[in-house]
Amino acid sequence: MAVIQNSKIRSRESILLRGIKELPSNFVYFGSQLVLYCWVGFTIFSFIWIIVASFKTNRELFSQVWQLPSSLQFGNYIKAWSVVHMGTYFLNSVVIVSMAVLLILTIAAPAAYILSRFKFRGNEAITNLFIAGMGIPYQVLLVPLFMLFKQFSLLDNRLGLVLAYTGLSLPFSIFLLTGFFRTLPTELEEAAAIDGCSEFGIFRKVMLPLASPGLVSAAIFNFISLWNEYLLALVMITTDGKRTLSLGLYALQGAMQYTSDWVGLFAGVVIILLPTLLIYIIMSERVLEGITFGAVK
Amino acid sequence: MVEGEEPLPPPHNNREVNVRKGRNKLIIPFLLPAAIIYLVIFVYPTIQALFVTLNDWSGFTPNMSYVGLRNFQELLKDPKYWISVRNTLGILFLGGIGIFGFSFLFTGTLTSGFRGKRIFRAIIFFPYLVAPIALATLWSFIYNPRFGLLNGVLRAVGLENLTQQWMAPDRLYPALLVAIVWISTGFYTVILLAGTDKIPQEFFDAAKVEGASRFQMFWRITIPMIWDVLTICLVFWGIEALKMFEFIYAFGSGDQPKIQIWTVGVYMYILSFGKRATIFRMGYGTAVAATILIFVILFVLLTRRIMRREVIEY
Repeated sequence: MAVIQNSKIRSRESILLRGIKELPSNFVYFGSQLVLYCWVGFTIFSFIWIIVASFKTNRELFSQVWQLPSSLQFGNYIKAWSVVHMGTYFLNSVVIVSMAVLLILTIAAPAAYILSRFKFRGNEAITNLFIAGMGIPYQVLLVPLFMLFKQFSLLDNRLGLVLAYTGLSLPFSIFLLTGFFRTLPTELEEAAAIDGCSEFGIFRKVMLPLASPGLVSAAIFNFISLWNEYLLALVMITTDGKRTLSLGLYALQGAMQYTSDWVGLFAGVVIILLPTLLIYIIMSERVLEGITFGAVK
Repeated sequence: MVEGEEPLPPPHNNREVNVRKGRNKLIIPFLLPAAIIYLVIFVYPTIQALFVTLNDWSGFTPNMSYVGLRNFQELLKDPKYWISVRNTLGILFLGGIGIFGFSFLFTGTLTSGFRGKRIFRAIIFFPYLVAPIALATLWSFIYNPRFGLLNGVLRAVGLENLTQQWMAPDRLYPALLVAIVWISTGFYTVILLAGTDKIPQEFFDAAKVEGASRFQMFWRITIPMIWDVLTICLVFWGIEALKMFEFIYAFGSGDQPKIQIWTVGVYMYILSFGKRATIFRMGYGTAVAATILIFVILFVLLTRRIMRREVIEY
């Protein structure tokens, strides 16, 4: 009897002890969950808040922080789109970024295919030269690039910006695509060769379709990062009509100190935000995959 | 050997070479376009930059005047440069502590049976995808003393006396750091999470049987198992932090940012292209930029040194 009681006490003790031992751990766990919820809540709220504010009047914005707009001021958007030329900037961005992404994929995919699947002397050196570019801050080559483009009249030229974007995006694109091509199986390639498919045909009809998830990731990643880019655009584009959206929004922000038109600025923010948000909502898994692919093998 | 004599031979070396004779013809046409664009737009300017740093050059005239290492000597005595260096290193280390602290916290929390992991991960990551200029506007909205989110919340919960001019010159730098941590944490969380997901579940099950706490599992299993991913993250962050320009340049709205938040990347731009500079100093600016590269190289070497250890295979 005494023995049973003892063991009961001991087990109760051990549960208690274990509870005490785990208390700090559980405390940390719930604390960290709380931080996580606050963080996510803040993130959602701040974006929703700026979207809501873009539909207010300036007066409503200044006087009632927490009130919803009494009526939706689509006028803010119309004004941003046409009066402040956001429409032109938007179109410029779409054209410049799409052309750059297309050009990047067109030249990076074949190069990555060669570098990842062909054996020849100097292969590793060339691959490393491409990838080393990921560690070079743009600022280093900004002045020489500026002078180079000046010589060829590519400054203040949208095509020039496309070229610059293409060249500077190559390191990451090659890095991502060589990584991707390396993971593809060789069997299909060999089977196609035995069936008499030409080498170019093998690349176009077998390898490219197999690599399409990687190509999509590279396209999305480049699209988003070039859509947001503005250091190069700032250096290279001077004419108002050639500005990209980032550049236009920067100019709008600069003009704020004279106009105090906050709601107009927020409309501009929403305009630049929307494409990214849409891409992300539709294919966030793809985006996240592309981001993690290079780092986590 | 005649083609097709034996039915389906094993794909062996000789055979493969025979069938795919034309293979190597692809190398040059496939590689050349990327190589040319890369060499002209990336490699050549980078090499030329080394030469530009040794010159004094306004950029208006084609002539540079050779000054040797004088740009670098000037830099050592330039107080604005050292303010920029201090701010940049502050972002790298203080911002880095914040970013990796939160990333660990979120990785640890999201991987211990947390419901809604994917959606939380997606939301935490989102700010990283938004245009820096838009984020700068968002944050000047958050910090706005009159109608900003921060003061609005403080007023709403009755902490009126804590409301601040968050963007006042002496608070500008900490305000910037907070914003940077918020933007970048998601990126590193996503990568660390992806690394953690690769760890076989048996390790955690075994640890649980042994009575390990969540905290112990995170420090004793997760961190050692994602060591290589963590190293890559640190290198990424080092490069990103040391060259940071866009968000900072737009932060605080209006014209050029105040000197309290200048980084080396911002200072380089202001020297070389700054719209309000009376004279562009492209040689000196490029010398400043070259020091960013030196910092990057030092940081990468140091990180790899510190993080070096035997690889755990699993």
